[in-house]
Amino acid sequence: MLISLNWLREFIPFSGDAAELGGKLTMAGLEVEDISRPYAALRPIVTGLVVTCAKHPQADKLSVCRVDVGDEVLDIVCGAPNVAAGQKVAVVRAGSTLPTGLAVKKAKLRGAPSNGMICSEFELGLSDEHEGILVLPDSAVAGSSVFDALGLDDEILDISITPNRGDCLSVLGIAREAAALLRLPLRLPDFERHTHGADARAELSLETDHGLAPLYHGLVIENVKNAPSPGRLRYRLNAVGMRPISNVVDATNYVMLELGQPLHAFDLDRITDRTIRVRAADPGETLVTLDGKKRLLEASDITIRDGRGAVGLGGMMGGLNSEILPETRRVFLESAVFNPFNIRKTARRLNLHSEATFRFERGVDQGGATYALERAAHLLAGLSGGHVRPGLIKDHGRPRRKKRITLRRGFAQARIGTSVGMDDSFYEETLKSLGCEVEDISGGLREGEKNPAECWIVTPPSWRYDLTREVDLVEEVVRLYGVDRIPAALPGIARNLESAGLPETKTAFISRVKHWARGASLNEIITYSFTGSKDLEFLGLDASDAISLQNPLSDDLNVLRPHLAPGLLGALRNNLAQGAPFARLFETAAAFAADPSSETGASEQTRLGLILHGERRFRPWPDAAGDLDYSDIKGLIEHLMHFLSLPEADFVRAESLPWLSPAVDILLGAEKIGYVGRVKREIADRYLARKEVWSAEIDLDLLQTLHKKSGILFKSLPIFPPARRDITFIAPPGLRADSIRKTIEEIKGPMEIEARLIDCFEPQGKDERNLTFRLTFRRADRTLKDAEADKQRELIAEAVQKTLSVRM
Amino acid sequence: MNLIAELEKLLSGLHADLPGVSSLAGLDELQTVYLGRKGALARLMGRLPELSPADRPAFGKAANAVKEEMVSLFAQRRKVYQTQAEDAGLARFDPSLPGRLPGQGTLHPVTLVMEEICRILVNLGFETVNGPEVETDFNNFQALNFPPDHPARDMQDTFFVREGVVMRTHTSPMQVRAMLEKGKPPVAVIAPGKVYRRDSDMTHSPMFHQIEGLLVDENVSLAHLRGTLTFFLRELFGPQVKVRFRPSFFPFTEPSLEVDMSCILCKGTGQRVIGRGGKEPCRVCKSSGWLEILGAGMVDPAVFTAVGFDPECSGFAFGLGVERVAMLKYGIDDLRNFFESDLRFLKQFI
Repeated sequence: MLISLNWLREFIPFSGDAAELGGKLTMAGLEVEDISRPYAALRPIVTGLVVTCAKHPQADKLSVCRVDVGDEVLDIVCGAPNVAAGQKVAVVRAGSTLPTGLAVKKAKLRGAPSNGMICSEFELGLSDEHEGILVLPDSAVAGSSVFDALGLDDEILDISITPNRGDCLSVLGIAREAAALLRLPLRLPDFERHTHGADARAELSLETDHGLAPLYHGLVIENVKNAPSPGRLRYRLNAVGMRPISNVVDATNYVMLELGQPLHAFDLDRITDRTIRVRAADPGETLVTLDGKKRLLEASDITIRDGRGAVGLGGMMGGLNSEILPETRRVFLESAVFNPFNIRKTARRLNLHSEATFRFERGVDQGGATYALERAAHLLAGLSGGHVRPGLIKDHGRPRRKKRITLRRGFAQARIGTSVGMDDSFYEETLKSLGCEVEDISGGLREGEKNPAECWIVTPPSWRYDLTREVDLVEEVVRLYGVDRIPAALPGIARNLESAGLPETKTAFISRVKHWARGASLNEIITYSFTGSKDLEFLGLDASDAISLQNPLSDDLNVLRPHLAPGLLGALRNNLAQGAPFARLFETAAAFAADPSSETGASEQTRLGLILHGERRFRPWPDAAGDLDYSDIKGLIEHLMHFLSLPEADFVRAESLPWLSPAVDILLGAEKIGYVGRVKREIADRYLARKEVWSAEIDLDLLQTLHKKSGILFKSLPIFPPARRDITFIAPPGLRADSIRKTIEEIKGPMEIEARLIDCFEPQGKDERNLTFRLTFRRADRTLKDAEADKQRELIAEAVQKTLSVRM
Repeated sequence: MNLIAELEKLLSGLHADLPGVSSLAGLDELQTVYLGRKGALARLMGRLPELSPADRPAFGKAANAVKEEMVSLFAQRRKVYQTQAEDAGLARFDPSLPGRLPGQGTLHPVTLVMEEICRILVNLGFETVNGPEVETDFNNFQALNFPPDHPARDMQDTFFVREGVVMRTHTSPMQVRAMLEKGKPPVAVIAPGKVYRRDSDMTHSPMFHQIEGLLVDENVSLAHLRGTLTFFLRELFGPQVKVRFRPSFFPFTEPSLEVDMSCILCKGTGQRVIGRGGKEPCRVCKSSGWLEILGAGMVDPAVFTAVGFDPECSGFAFGLGVERVAMLKYGIDDLRNFFESDLRFLKQFI
């Protein structure tokens, strides 16, 4: 919110600058984000006195002027129709630049020399008015800056107001805070309250739903003449970001910015039936609002109605049928407080957010509504040449009951952690400076209270909707004391025996997996949890199974990914587009699935995702050439199992993953812990991959559970040396190599047998594979003889050929 | 006879042959000719039965002496050739050739920062907890004192999944979950994780990371909050860091605070020295000398009530954005870098 320092000074006698005040406000919770001088560019523009003004001999529309600018008299040719001798005007000398950026140069206009320019409001950046020049008040001194003549030497503070401080959305609100912080007296603007004519209550009666509008007041202003507001008011509105419209509208906006009370002006002569009703809209009825839009109303909307029906949407926007027109003479000015929840609901539904709704949503002070109404009515009358009729038209429910809050000194001290510089009088004075009534009930008036001598009953002022509890008062005391003055202390966080020896946390487990991946030369990525339903469909997944967002940022990010694949593939594409020769990426993140048994309807599985593509070698030399393939990704998974002390996993062809071919399930005993596979050609193509893309996803939640059960178990070192023999089987293509290994290792006997594949050769032109295993035999009780090893090899050859369809 | 003379002839033959050998391989060949299993010496020794038993010991002794001499001759020669071969190899050795990399992976800067933050706080006694990213409106908002249809909800643009279910907008629902799970004080937890806001531009990402902290215990005060966060920021950014606490507003804390630290780029001066004596406004802190780094406060009694704790309980909570810390720590100037997975970015964070 923009606050003018000059305006603020009308409420408090503050003589410092905006930076000083800004620092104080920021440290009290009203963060000043920026300080600006909106009219600083006008400083070099001087006041000139038009000494003579004559028609240009060669041009009808131009005047030749002699203008006294203090230290010299300039010849200036002026094109404005309203220029005249004796006027005080704003002059830019030749060689200077206008606030709009236009450079003014010495020139000859149809033979007449011109050494400057007499400016309009438009050229000064004050308004859109460029028909005529700006005529300054007579009090302006030739040669002085127009900056001073127009009272534009102002600083504007941009203050960020938190949602709990609706009371600070005005000059008055900020002035109250500043007064409390700087211990300055606060004075409200004084104004003449002349009324004229008969009691206005005879004109209009009210029927108000107090639930929707706890307070509804109005005054009638007559003889209004709609016109632009005077400069001073317009410049001030402009400086705080409010566009001047006309005297009637400007007066209501001015008072809203000043006092925080939104106001609305109706054309009284366009209200029928002499009655205004404030009640809920009839569902389905329509109202054309001031912006020309036809609004379909619902029962939660607040309507202002006359005999015909709705003439305004309470707290939001007036109706076109009661709008102030250029010919409006009689105004009904409304000052009301509407129910914040209804306002918020309607504003959100109609996407109709305004300065008024912003304030009503955050709470408008009922105690200030009448003062603001009178202030606005008399300002409006003054600006428009009209007069205020006597008689306040009012209807309100029971005034809000004032909250009485007990504040215990002991409680406050324990929360703050210090009492230094905070004696009883500090508490009392601080709260009083904020407008609270403070009643000392020390002396044991209350039974059962531990520390009766240190209690107060505090009644917050009507504008502080946020002060309802003891802690809220503690905050006020701390805020004005200064949080930075509280000494720092470290808490002793209590450990207990129950917290010892607990299982590893999920965070710690995932962290270990990440560090493993880093060690395994994988680069960690983090990608969005969202993806597009189209991306899922492209992978062959049914997007309607995925959890979708009701209000996505875009269609590309409208569902939660059921697999990490879209993110992994997207990351691969980004790198291939950059010309990376290879990528070995990993991510740990949640995969989301619909789950009716969950309270959110969603379940999340933390996964490790891997994606490999491109050259295997890190350097062209001395590493051997070759592309990353199945053995690389499988090796990583085997390595991870080993790292986590888990048994060897089984890799089994799967059918279920539409974007992978081949797709392979990773099994640990009976549990499926994930899958691995090659991304289908046409999908890889779309992600710019020209080589094979291998990807895997592993369920880390399950892996952690399995890991908790596993551990390192030491096996004694063998005493006797082993014997080794090699054996080669010729196998048909479909036969899994590890079925041979398992068959060998399952052979029972006094010998320990281990079989390891040492070569896999596919002879050209033959549909079979030669699989060579190295057999290691060992006895625990003695060294093996050669003949025994040879015999065991024969046994194995027989057994395998009998069990599997292989030959030697 | 004379076998002994033949032995001597053999030895002198070797003396004559050795200079003709020019390589290690030739030497091996020659050694086989003389000393191999079927070599000249072996053949000569095979003729032992030709001698009378009385002559045999003398011959055996002479044969052994010759063998030793030959072995020593070969060894001497071998040493010469090995040295020569090694020296020749050294001349070709180029220490500047690239090495064979074992491969070096990297961790994401968000992970690096998150782990460092967790380490500091775990050392202070906090326990790490995790929770879901799809969250109930109750945990994300209502229990944290954001009533339905309250302007405070505008502070966080929310992604809705369905009625009453949102993508969590902060890690603060973990406060609720942790307290509900523990059932009573003390509670000292931190919750790192992903959060989501419906906002995307130069300085906002729809997904980012936060770390939440919560301490509920007897007599926890604002002084403890100040101490903990000052300690934390000094550990993270160094002992020279100054910390400032400003009142602010969050629905779930009262009082609420924004925590600023002195700008790490301009050291809190608001200006950066450029060239000789020249100065320019610091762009990181926008000349203020301060950087917003944490939100914090004393737990609001409404939150205690919502989780069934005694509203007179005392505790503090805080939260911070991980990407922001990473940007400050590493000088990353564009938020979008974090989620584009560009290896040229990732590889800088070993």
